[in-house]
Amino acid sequence: MNAEPRRRPLIAWLILSVITLAYLALDRYADNRDTYRASSVVTTIAILLALVKARTIFREFMQVRHAPSLLCRLTDLWVFLIGAALLGSYFAGLAVR
Amino acid sequence: MTEIAQASPEPGAGAQPSGKTAGEPARVVPGQPDMWVLVLFESLLFTAYFAVYLFHRTADSEAFLRSQAQLSAWLGTLDTLLLLASSLFMLWCVQATRAGAFRSAMANAWITGLLGVAFLVSKVTEWIKLVRGGHSFTANEFFQYYFFLTGIHLLHLLIGFVVIGVIIYQLRSPARRSRDLVETYAVYWHTVDLLWVLIFSLLYVVR
Repeated sequence: MNAEPRRRPLIAWLILSVITLAYLALDRYADNRDTYRASSVVTTIAILLALVKARTIFREFMQVRHAPSLLCRLTDLWVFLIGAALLGSYFAGLAVR
Repeated sequence: MTEIAQASPEPGAGAQPSGKTAGEPARVVPGQPDMWVLVLFESLLFTAYFAVYLFHRTADSEAFLRSQAQLSAWLGTLDTLLLLASSLFMLWCVQATRAGAFRSAMANAWITGLLGVAFLVSKVTEWIKLVRGGHSFTANEFFQYYFFLTGIHLLHLLIGFVVIGVIIYQLRSPARRSRDLVETYAVYWHTVDLLWVLIFSLLYVVR
């Protein structure tokens, strides 16, 4: 195996890990000391970061970037659908409560 | 079923199919298409669960937040890092299989499995701690969602262990080695990781 195929997944993993650690900062920012507060901003950022991670897993770990464009588009569509469903249900819930 | 065995190119590393210019990477579906159907179906199914959870938590956000405070974001982060690392080793297992480096592929498969076991131990430990603290499945709506989502995810993880076992079994014998099946099973394992990434952000971080 040459170095490139091994290095690229490592970089993807590092990016995913940094985003994961960013959640801890987001978690701290979200609250007033030990009291958890509802926050649409935190919820939206958390969901968007999860979508970035999901797409990275599809493209790099599942190697969709090497797949036919149909699968590339399909997985991108899936990430979009997941995001729309999650954000849509959250904000719909806020609107009707 | 004894496809490959000898060094074969990384997808995208070779020259290509008809209609492509010389040197343009080959574009192939990693693993069997049936597995991709399952992956896309499973991710949509989980998305439906997530959507119901998010909708309901806004109806009584204070109660959900009080229960969510019982979870450790640090532990959730550790769990995520474990599964991300396991996915990295699974990908290296696939790459080693393609390169015909079967000893390396098996080592990577074993490490993938061990990281999965570490995740399992962490998750069960968290469950025990929560239940002992009075936060069981029946405690309230948040914990019903928590145990349901982490429970069905854990079920997928257990199936993933079987998948890794089959990969190791196949890689042990030249007669059984199949790049296609290793790629297919790897796609399944990455799906377990993908679902956890979503579960982590929705149960531990959203407010």
